[in-house]
Amino acid sequence: MIARLPPWGPDQITDEGRDGVPRRRPLPRLPGIRRRRLLLALGLGALGVTGAVGMTGTGGTKAPVGSPGTPAPALRGPTLAGEPFDLAELRGRVVLVNVFASWCGPCRDELPMLADAQRRWSERVLRVVGLAVRDSSVAVRDLLDQTGAQDLTVLPDPTGTTAVDWGARGVPETFLVDGHGRIADRVIGPVSAEWLDRRLTPLLDP
Amino acid sequence: MTGQVGTWALGAGLIATVAATLLWLRLALHPGTPARAARLATGAGLLCAAVACGALEWALLRHDFGVRFVAENGSRRLGTYHTVTSLWSALDGSLLLWLLILTGYASLLGRLGQRHDQRLHQWAMTLVSVVSLFFFALSHFAANPFDPVHPVPSDGPGPNPLLQEHPAMGLHPPLLYAGYIGLVVPFAYALAGLLAGEPTRSWLRAARRWTLAAWACLTAGIALGAWWSYAVLGWGGYWAWDPVENASLLPWLTATAFLHSVLGRRASARSGWPVALACASFLLVLVGTFLTRSGLVASVHAFTESTLGPMLLGFLLLTAIGTVVLVCWRGTSDPYPPEATPPLSRATALLGNRILLTTITAVVLVGTVLPPVAQALSGTGTAVGPAYFNRTAVPLAIAVLALMGLAVLLPPSGTRPAETARRSVAPAAVGLAVVAVTGLASRPGPMVLAAFGCAGFTLAATAAALARRIRAGGTLRTARLRSALGGSVAHAGIALVAVGIAGSSAYTVATERELPIGQTLAVPGATVRLAAVDRVRTGSGMTVRARLTIAPSAGSPQTLTPELTYHPAQDTTVSVPAVRTGLLRDTYATLLAVSADGRSATIRLAANPMVSLIWAGGALTALGGLLALGTAPLTSRRRRRTAWPGRPLTSRGRHRTAWPGRPLTSRRRRRTAQPGRPTAGTARPVPASASTPGAAE
Amino acid sequence: MIRVRVPKTTALGVGLTGVGLAILLLGAVLGIWRSASPTGDGDPAHRLAAELRCPACQGESVADSRSPIAAAMREAISTRLGRGESPDEVRTYLVQRYGVEVLTMPPARRWGLLLWAVPVLALGAGLLPVLRAGYRSRRAARSASPGRPAGRDDRAGVRGGAAGDVAGQGRRAGSRRHRVFAPPSGSRVWNVGAVAVLALVGAVALATPGPQTPPGPATSPDPVPAQLALARSMEQQGQYEAAAEVYRTVLVERPADDVRLRLAFILIRLGQATEAARLAGEVLAHTPDAPDGLLILGLAQRESDPPAATATLRRFLTRAPDHPAAAEVRRLVDSG
Repeated sequence: MIARLPPWGPDQITDEGRDGVPRRRPLPRLPGIRRRRLLLALGLGALGVTGAVGMTGTGGTKAPVGSPGTPAPALRGPTLAGEPFDLAELRGRVVLVNVFASWCGPCRDELPMLADAQRRWSERVLRVVGLAVRDSSVAVRDLLDQTGAQDLTVLPDPTGTTAVDWGARGVPETFLVDGHGRIADRVIGPVSAEWLDRRLTPLLDP
Repeated sequence: MTGQVGTWALGAGLIATVAATLLWLRLALHPGTPARAARLATGAGLLCAAVACGALEWALLRHDFGVRFVAENGSRRLGTYHTVTSLWSALDGSLLLWLLILTGYASLLGRLGQRHDQRLHQWAMTLVSVVSLFFFALSHFAANPFDPVHPVPSDGPGPNPLLQEHPAMGLHPPLLYAGYIGLVVPFAYALAGLLAGEPTRSWLRAARRWTLAAWACLTAGIALGAWWSYAVLGWGGYWAWDPVENASLLPWLTATAFLHSVLGRRASARSGWPVALACASFLLVLVGTFLTRSGLVASVHAFTESTLGPMLLGFLLLTAIGTVVLVCWRGTSDPYPPEATPPLSRATALLGNRILLTTITAVVLVGTVLPPVAQALSGTGTAVGPAYFNRTAVPLAIAVLALMGLAVLLPPSGTRPAETARRSVAPAAVGLAVVAVTGLASRPGPMVLAAFGCAGFTLAATAAALARRIRAGGTLRTARLRSALGGSVAHAGIALVAVGIAGSSAYTVATERELPIGQTLAVPGATVRLAAVDRVRTGSGMTVRARLTIAPSAGSPQTLTPELTYHPAQDTTVSVPAVRTGLLRDTYATLLAVSADGRSATIRLAANPMVSLIWAGGALTALGGLLALGTAPLTSRRRRRTAWPGRPLTSRGRHRTAWPGRPLTSRRRRRTAQPGRPTAGTARPVPASASTPGAAE
Repeated sequence: MIRVRVPKTTALGVGLTGVGLAILLLGAVLGIWRSASPTGDGDPAHRLAAELRCPACQGESVADSRSPIAAAMREAISTRLGRGESPDEVRTYLVQRYGVEVLTMPPARRWGLLLWAVPVLALGAGLLPVLRAGYRSRRAARSASPGRPAGRDDRAGVRGGAAGDVAGQGRRAGSRRHRVFAPPSGSRVWNVGAVAVLALVGAVALATPGPQTPPGPATSPDPVPAQLALARSMEQQGQYEAAAEVYRTVLVERPADDVRLRLAFILIRLGQATEAARLAGEVLAHTPDAPDGLLILGLAQRESDPPAATATLRRFLTRAPDHPAAAEVRRLVDSG
């Protein structure tokens, strides 16, 4: 018999006037409002608590690898010229690690600038190291010849895993490693001559 | 010159909408005065929007680069079609289209809506006018596309290359906008009901058809957008849970729930659901607009670098606060009336679906909005991607699918366990059989199996229910049958979409390889041979095409030509895939790279099964909405007749129209009180006496 | 009259249906169980890559993206998994490098907690009142069951009341007892106020963005940069002839020195030294000591007139000793 019950509750029936007088309800505040308010308060409370958790619980997240201030990841292996290379042996020297590829236009544009920087400062104080990501050595050699950057130390990284080790997000990307083996700065995208001047000069000409 | 006309049109539109707002407000406050002036002002708003749109279109077609929008988005190299569509290829122009549709809705509503309750209509028109006023102000002050440019450039860069690749550009944005903006009508009516102090459902009747029309457009727009991204973006997917895609899904979800809360004949009659859902739909439209146009989120579809953000956010917050205040102040009803809906009834299933749809909306909303908010508040990056939505929204959606089938099996009210059980046997058998067969034949994973099973169950249940209706149709009114048909078609469409999504996500196979000319690349179900690589210098850039022949082709050899186009103006390369659509599976080829000597190409080849089901299902769903549009607003045509006094008398409604303005609610009450009256869902012929109030009076 | 189709529900029929459904259910359970059990063919590296976000793209997963860094990440994932690391370790390795943003499913910590709290809260907020209402209605039904006939009488009263009530809703809106907002006072005040607002808006709308406003930022997209970009990209792809052709077209529209030099540079590559020398000469005619002009002229002269070339290049070196190409030129000059 439940099915025959009217679709409204007993409280509403009494509310609409049991005496049968046609009467529009004066928009009463039904319990639903209070409940809605309660729900709202509950929701806001939950939001606040979570927000507080979000604000306070900062522990546990460290600066990601590759960001300034962190120790530089390992970088070793044979160079394009076939010589062994290890970044760890270059303590005391400033190292500019440039992640690049021959198929990348901006890399092509910035290589002469980097080669110039290497020429300007002696290898005893500055090493510019290129990391050729997912590229053939032939294409890289061509690129170096075309841009006059043959003097650079270039490490091939045909799989790109070394770039991932460094946390590189694309090409070109440049990491500046100071004499203590820490990352001093990082540029995502091409570097500018102004950046090189500003960042290299204080490290190299104290 | 054209720019001047456009700017003046925007200014005049602003004035017209201010006038319309004031006039409609005056009508709402001083009832009884003629509405002619207010309607004229609303019409003037439409005229101004049309003139502004026309002026910009004219400037685009004439390559009038002295107009800022044309200088930024026009190009002499574009064909006529893409020149016309470039009106909505960037923010400022798309706002004009938005305005045109909004004022169009306003004028239509001003003309058609008066058949309903006058006061309701006047308040609704006031609210719609306020919204139009805001968008005119936005366009005029913050994003005027007609700003002059000095010096006048000789050519422009053209729109984003991705927008130049597909004919859907002409259809998808206008449809989506029509759907989006149409949701302003239920919102306006819901608030109008509160403002006018209407404790009845008359606003629901007024809003339902508008919502259906908007919903059908929105459905078609979303489906078209998915098809577009499938055909252009080249990764073989159609839905990425991208913030902007989500923004279009959110109002769709709440509008769907709203439509069903209108349907529920008893359970939701007095509940707060419809008001909440109608308001939420439009607020979510504003949220979506804010997300798309403020540059808050990075997305393929988002218009970037917008200064409108603060204005839109302000309007959004104002609207939200206003709505909440109004609902709390004047809301009349308990969201969950303690009425006795028997646990095993359609009303319960509908309520369950509403709760689930609302939960999905909450999930999608938090997943979309959280990353930018967290970034803004704490500076830490949080990313929410498909993995999250697939684990939260997708299971909920499968539950919705199952409840959809269950709802048509259950009687509208009342418990008839034996009959329900008897009806459920066949659909349950179909669902279980689908799960058993696909589960034993392949290993698609439990989620996909559940989706298949629920879709099979729902399709079978829907078909059975429709068949029952048609069998009983001889004695039923055709409108009712049409309404049932609309619902069934829409449900079948949704089930097909579910099958398509589940199937394509489980069974897609892809491979990619560098392919010398003459060699073949194969995946199960598709083999192609690289015939040639062509380089073409097109008007603005350079295009490389790979000609692939589909290897085992009976009859004439078929070719696929995926291409890679370089657009120098934007310095981007766009890869356009080639798709051969099949009934069972699509063959989908993308050109990734071409070797320098042009002797080989890197090709990605995929066989995407069941994708065409998604498009078919989307079209069916929108069609279902349109079919339902042609039927009665609430349950049957007769009732609407009584709600509209002054309708022409027809033989069918004669005894009814003799009582204009009859109390609907009381009749419904009496009906339910009538002992032994069969309910509609059981599809038995309605005895004439039961529905004739005159006899009882 | 009422057509009810009742199939013959014999005990046999019910039993057969039950058995059939049971068999299907068994099959379905088997299918799900088989599908859920770990399969050999699923590639764990691909699965892991699919739930990572490519750091260089917009909204693409590492598995789907074509960007080289995503390819490198895929490579790193398979190498590490192949080395025996667990998926969690690989995930941690990548999070250490690319931040939590790299995960498409954020961990349930801090902000991520909200993501999981919201679905639960929303579902709870929806279901709790329903359950409560159900409980209440059951209790009400229990307590009210003896008095139900009285309830019916109530309804009869309501019917009459509501009938008169709703009948008025159509046209007699003005005679509402519940006037919601009263107009401030009199319609004249209202009219004057409305006209004032309208005039204000009109004045603001027409005054603000008039033609006297300064033109927007001079965005003057002209085809030359586009064509230059095209030519440059062709150059990078080694299509020097096509690039030269584009540069020639640009030169017609914009006879600028940098375009001339670019074209000359390509012409040297293509071996058309005479034309290159002519172009460099044109540049030098405008600006006599332009280093790039000297460089290209020198390079162009090397075929035809080596001594002149050496002289030009020496001039270039004195002019621009810090030029990127200076070192190479120095070597050329010293060797030849």
